[in-house]
Amino acid sequence: MEPDTVPYDRHFGRLVRDKTQSNIPVKAVYGPADVDGLDYARDLGNPGEPPFTRGLYPEMYRRNLWLKSLIVCYATPEETNRAFKKYIAAGQTGLRVLTDTSTLSGVDPDHPLARYDIMCNGSPTFALSEYETMLDGIALEDVDLESANSTPSGSFFTYVFLVALMEKRGADISKLRGTNINDPIHAFIVYGTPEFPPALARRVNLDLIEFGIRHTPRWHPCTPCGYDMRDAGLTSPQEMAFVIANALQYYGDAAGERGLPFDGFRPMVFSMSSESDFFETIAKFRATRRLWARAARERLGASTPRSMSCRIGIRTAGNSIYPQKPLNNTARITLQVLAAVLGGVQAIDPSGIDETFGLPSEESRIFELDLQHIIAHEGNVPLTADPLGGSYYVEWLTTRLETEAIRLLEEIDRLGGMWKCLESGWLRQQFDRTTTEVQGEINDGKRLIVGANSFRGPDGAISRAIVDGAYKVPPDDKRFGAIDRVRQLRETRDGDAVRRRLRELAEAVREQRNVVRAAIEATKAYATLGEMVGTIRMAHGLCFDPYERIAAPDCLALV
Amino acid sequence: MVQSEATIRVLIGKVGFDPHDRGILVLSRGLRNAGMEVIFLGKFMTAEEVVSAAVQEGVDVIALSDHCGVMRLIAQDIMAELERQGASDICVVAGGIIPEEEKPALEAMGVTGNYGMGTPMEEIVGHIVQRVSSRAKKD
Repeated sequence: MEPDTVPYDRHFGRLVRDKTQSNIPVKAVYGPADVDGLDYARDLGNPGEPPFTRGLYPEMYRRNLWLKSLIVCYATPEETNRAFKKYIAAGQTGLRVLTDTSTLSGVDPDHPLARYDIMCNGSPTFALSEYETMLDGIALEDVDLESANSTPSGSFFTYVFLVALMEKRGADISKLRGTNINDPIHAFIVYGTPEFPPALARRVNLDLIEFGIRHTPRWHPCTPCGYDMRDAGLTSPQEMAFVIANALQYYGDAAGERGLPFDGFRPMVFSMSSESDFFETIAKFRATRRLWARAARERLGASTPRSMSCRIGIRTAGNSIYPQKPLNNTARITLQVLAAVLGGVQAIDPSGIDETFGLPSEESRIFELDLQHIIAHEGNVPLTADPLGGSYYVEWLTTRLETEAIRLLEEIDRLGGMWKCLESGWLRQQFDRTTTEVQGEINDGKRLIVGANSFRGPDGAISRAIVDGAYKVPPDDKRFGAIDRVRQLRETRDGDAVRRRLRELAEAVREQRNVVRAAIEATKAYATLGEMVGTIRMAHGLCFDPYERIAAPDCLALV
Repeated sequence: MVQSEATIRVLIGKVGFDPHDRGILVLSRGLRNAGMEVIFLGKFMTAEEVVSAAVQEGVDVIALSDHCGVMRLIAQDIMAELERQGASDICVVAGGIIPEEEKPALEAMGVTGNYGMGTPMEEIVGHIVQRVSSRAKKD
């Protein structure tokens, strides 16, 4: 071959699949016969009317744009605070709070296992002092907040810290607005942290729902999370079925065990994933709303349109972001955000293009906001509600996803609900089957990932800049500074007050009372997260340290 | 497929609190399919526990995974522990989210692979086979 010739193939890059990413077979064309049984009033409804297939509001995004809702979490509370303020000025409207990985796991920075993860993926917000710094100058009663901490202790303490901070500042906690994932079943699958074992996690989940409904009525105390599960390997019908089944489990238990009727309650909120498979993602959001309206009516007795509706907040798929040719990630994120808007969601949190190299850089975060501004203001995409409604393909696919999700919901019912499905290992098997199948297709070239298993090529200057710009974990000496910080707090706070409040927390656990109030009071006395997790555990008959590596500290002697 | 004289034994474990385990689940399946024996230790481990298990099981390779960007510290602790337990002949490979600028330091420590997401399984398998066979030659 001559050195300057190139083998030419006019079919190069042709399609290798005839199925969606969830392996739903797709025909080359759809027509009226494919939507034959579809009844407009029953199956679609106008936007703002049950079953909400076409969206939650009559005027959709003309009334309110979606929340531009970014997780903001850098290594220290100070950096995170500065970032929040910068992004709010650039158009962020939803404030998602996340901690570092060791705090998320339910321990303080001086835990022996924490050495690796202090300040990774966020700040070590181990006590109220850190929340005071992280949210300084932000009036919590005026903003939309979301807790992205979704381990059982993470969901519990993010709420506790936020309420404690408001009370400490003299703010009216009934104005707290936002969402808490509080979905322990999903947490056992994707995080697997042992701090609150199932029986305790189940109780804490209901305590949060109960306290939330009574004292912070604008707060959604339990918003099941499909996102993490989807990212860990589920198909779209599995994601839909499991968020709905989890919601039925938690709110069914709240009604049955705590006397909290679901009807008249606020709209449901689901946290879901937006994927690159464009039409399947759009159809998934439409199908989820329709299926939830029916499930809420039939299973939880919802009788008002409001209590049959579900808001959807999405994060774009983190596992679709690749390190090879990282500039391509801008295309993936754009597709995913566009799918979310066309699917009519209420909150969007895009991934960073540099997310496989570290936390998103500031520039990458600003791009995520600008991307949404471009879709809204240059693309004119949100001008009209459900623009794809009535498309033969989209309507067929919506129904197809719904049908598959219903089949799974029926199976979950037969198995006795989601807690049972978790305990029996059925849920784990669902993941294993799907991830094995997907990985096999990737290895065999039946699922193409541009730059990774196909269309490979060298990285250029732009790629290198993306790699270099990503936010990196600070050096060890700075990270280990958090250990001094927690020790300093323990020395300077009122030790007697901490001991008293921890004792009251333990009593609330033992006496089967709702533990949220006692935890708020202990938080206001600057008890640390690790101490409070340990107190709750000990009062529940467990050892202090979830990871069984340290003994209970002295301040818990009387607990 | 690997059908060499002896089956390669690999211990897969995660040090610290990083909960992301899809990578190690996929990897353990991939290595088993390639004919290797996998000892799956799971997550929330200390470096000492990983190395003790590796020594006890007599593995050829320790495969580490981290998505928090701190592989350098994990590797440092693992290598020190291997030396302390007199097991420096065990090969160490790594994957996950590993900062580009830390890869040379990891290689210098003897921690190789350092693969990111989307790496083809055959590349990882080939790398492990090659590391184990070049170690065998040295012996």
